[in-house]
Amino acid sequence: MKKSLLILLVSTMLLIFTVSAAAETTTLTFWTFQELHQQFLEKEVARWNENNPDNQINLEATVYPYDQMHNKLLIALQSGVGAPDMADIEISKFANYLKGSNPQLVPMNDVVEPNMDKMIEARFANYAKNGNYYGIPYHVGATVMYYNMEMMDAAGVDINKIVTWDDFVEAGKKVKDATGKPMTTVEVTEHWTLYPMISQIGSDIFAEDGSVILDNEKNERVLTFINDMVHKHEIAIPAPGGFHHSEEYWNFMNNEGAATLMMPLWYMGRFVQYMPDLKGKMAIRPLPVWDEGGNRSAGMGGTGTVVTIQSDQQQLAKEFLAEAKLSVEASHKLWTELGFDPVRWGVWDDPIMSEPNQYTEYFRNDDIFGMLLEIRDEINPTMVTEQYPKAIDLLKKNVSFKVIKQQSHTPAEALEEAAEELRQ
Amino acid sequence: MQILKNFYEKYINSRKVAPYIFVAPFIIVFLVFYLYPMISTIIMSFQEIGFGEPKFVGLENYRDLFNVHYKNALLTSTNYTFWTILVLVPLPIVLAVLLNSDKTKFTNFFRSSIFMPALTSVIVAGMFFRYAFGEQASTLANSIIGVFGLEPITWLQNSIPAMIALVVLCVWRWLGVNIIYFLSGLQSIPEEIYEAADIDGASSWDKFKYITIPSLKPVIIYVITISVFGGYKMFAESYAYWQTATPNDIGMTIVSYIYQTGFNNFNMGFASAIGITLLLIVLIVNIIQLNLFGLFKKGEQ
Amino acid sequence: MSKNKIQVTAIILVLSFFAFFALAPFFFMLISSFKPGDQIIKNGISASIDFDIMSFQNYKTLFTERSGIYLHWYKNSVLITTIQTAAAVFLSSWVGYGLAVYEFKGKNLIFILVLVLMMVPIEILILPLYKLSITLGILDSYAGVILPFIVPPVAVFFFRQFAVGLPTELIDAARIDGASEFAIFFKIMMPLMKPAFGAMIILQAMFSWNAFVWPLIVLRSNENFTLPIGLASLITPYGNSYDMLFSGAVISVVPIIILFMFKQNSFISGLTVGGVKG
Repeated sequence: MKKSLLILLVSTMLLIFTVSAAAETTTLTFWTFQELHQQFLEKEVARWNENNPDNQINLEATVYPYDQMHNKLLIALQSGVGAPDMADIEISKFANYLKGSNPQLVPMNDVVEPNMDKMIEARFANYAKNGNYYGIPYHVGATVMYYNMEMMDAAGVDINKIVTWDDFVEAGKKVKDATGKPMTTVEVTEHWTLYPMISQIGSDIFAEDGSVILDNEKNERVLTFINDMVHKHEIAIPAPGGFHHSEEYWNFMNNEGAATLMMPLWYMGRFVQYMPDLKGKMAIRPLPVWDEGGNRSAGMGGTGTVVTIQSDQQQLAKEFLAEAKLSVEASHKLWTELGFDPVRWGVWDDPIMSEPNQYTEYFRNDDIFGMLLEIRDEINPTMVTEQYPKAIDLLKKNVSFKVIKQQSHTPAEALEEAAEELRQ
Repeated sequence: MQILKNFYEKYINSRKVAPYIFVAPFIIVFLVFYLYPMISTIIMSFQEIGFGEPKFVGLENYRDLFNVHYKNALLTSTNYTFWTILVLVPLPIVLAVLLNSDKTKFTNFFRSSIFMPALTSVIVAGMFFRYAFGEQASTLANSIIGVFGLEPITWLQNSIPAMIALVVLCVWRWLGVNIIYFLSGLQSIPEEIYEAADIDGASSWDKFKYITIPSLKPVIIYVITISVFGGYKMFAESYAYWQTATPNDIGMTIVSYIYQTGFNNFNMGFASAIGITLLLIVLIVNIIQLNLFGLFKKGEQ
Repeated sequence: MSKNKIQVTAIILVLSFFAFFALAPFFFMLISSFKPGDQIIKNGISASIDFDIMSFQNYKTLFTERSGIYLHWYKNSVLITTIQTAAAVFLSSWVGYGLAVYEFKGKNLIFILVLVLMMVPIEILILPLYKLSITLGILDSYAGVILPFIVPPVAVFFFRQFAVGLPTELIDAARIDGASEFAIFFKIMMPLMKPAFGAMIILQAMFSWNAFVWPLIVLRSNENFTLPIGLASLITPYGNSYDMLFSGAVISVVPIIILFMFKQNSFISGLTVGGVKG
């Protein structure tokens, strides 16, 4: 035991010596809540070090559980000590970090703006305040529909003919009759069903001036529609476990529990990782529209990577992040490795984007990005205000749950209740 | 040297000074690690806090307490405390009596097995129980009620089943600890009393009622006291099941509400105000209770 | 005789039920720790034993992944638990004894303080406590984890309750013999409190070994993590790394179970609760 400890000690020391011997190596610390992000940035560091032999980076990345990472970062920034150089902040938490007169994050305009014309600006606006971009997104998060083609074929449904949500309901009835299984699942304890549909229909939680519009007629229409899918047409059920990231749900889908799923494109990775049994069966299409000519997608979710003002290597961190997340090469990798739709749409028609990889192998689509390019202009920006974290909290905990699961509120009542609370 | 010794004899060792030296470590820790943070929390409860200078907002945070979430949290915590006490006092007493009986075999095995869960962290326990209370028919909890012919339940999305899930997790972790408290209480009851009762021809139930329970009273008081504390500051169990967003507040306790407001919504001022009220509530409940039991009087049974 | 037998069987049945209730989760976790992570995602946590898919692979991963970081966590947990338990138990017996046997000004106030602090949830003090740790320079260190909880109010309360029940005649006798107040504590009362020490050592070690909220905040670097923090870092919001999670959990429970097995008797007699003189 002692001997092995000694060996461990010596080898660690050797390692430290060799690392410090290499000239110009800067250590950057990075916190994230997503292991995939950590692995991705580690590879990007290797690429950076190849290209910048005289300006080497040593990345010290730590993965924390989602909540803990955000809290820890909040406390570290609040008290001025202990924050890392860079950190991932999830979109529904981001507004917390911009609260108050003196944000503890570094504006990244100088590294972001030069290429803004090739990127989807709306995704940067989620992480901006007073014209300063504080976070670099990973993806667009275009919301799409995932169809189980075996079940569609069994029911004789042609998914290319599903144009409107009403068509979707009709197709759902056929699927239900043919297979006895629900057409789709809706989230009742998270917001990935209600919110994208609200955004898709052209509404939002907040208006551009920041006032609360959660209880407007469009949103009522959306929630009523979701509720009807479950209780009137009976083609949908609440997702097992309440949301589409629960273990129950993965279990359920591996057994072909439901025929379709509406989630953003980044959810592809979950299919590959957690639903191996559906490989080769799924196809991706844009969303059905609400009304003729309406939007076929919505940009949802996301994580902004930030540089904190406690970093003493702010410039290097910024440049590294821009290279690691926004450059052409990085954009390719975001797709091939993580299955993300990169915010730099300029690369979407690059040949590499349509080459086979683990995602194209899993899904039946030939050209996912061709499809994305078609709907690129059909993604509404979402309005993020200081109240955003609370609003998402209410969407998650109360709105869909009270209407669909508990059935204690009508859509109008639930929306109004949440809106009133936000207005206080 | 002699002076020093005199000084020691006269002052440090005197019965006037010595007690303060005994309590000094607590006082120091209190002053350094509790007083400042508590004062700071009280100040924060009158502030709005972001990045940059905090803003004084008077009683606004306290006014915000009049909302439905706070009410829900208060109810959940109170219910939880009530039910855990209701289960975790009588049940361990009965089991302790069984374990203490001469007739029982394998006492050591049973005692250690039932105690084992207390050794795990909530993180680990929560992982298992969240699964066990999953909503499919095949999960552990649903298979068990299935044996009794009941339909599968969505445990974690309905208020009464959710409370059951919380109490079960709590019972799993603490049953063994409480048994051991009562067991040691039982072992301190002199055997002669029971023998005397036997001579008088008392039944087992009479002995339990008239000897065991009264003798256990101090232990019962102790267990209830720590259960009130534990119940009102419960957070980990709720976190294990729902992380921070429990649908319609069904599993949200006061401390989860603090955590959510403070960290998820970064409203430290309001969170501090909730914390202060929690402190007051538990303080009042306990002072009443402890006075009833006469805990402040020295040497009383 | 036969009535007696029925009774004995009934008792055994009842106790077996609760023992099963207590042990089943361990069994599930133990079985799961031998299964590959994707199996668990697909089929859930189950107690089905299937030697085709079960292997020691997870345990291998546990000790080799990220150059054996798990062993670092283990070492930190062991050290922190040892130091904290030793210090906390000694200091709180010292304080609790003082509160129990002396009459002095402010005694009731201090006792009320102990009770109040027992119920302060750490969550509401985290931000100021963190700022304080920065000022004191104990961030990301063992001291940072240990110091704020070095005199746990619960333990003080426990020892106070225990000491109240000790025979005061012994103290008076010792005074007449000329023993100093502190000698009385060390030479006479401490040995009498031995059972209470047994109990508190286990309870404190449990608390320390499983502590989560505060260590998470105060520890910063990966290699300084304790086991619960390290294990929690394997739980990601988008699926858990079950490969390491269950094997890590199993190994983390083992030492405390061993400690318990060895100390069981002193522990249980310890709770012969003075704990709980009214």
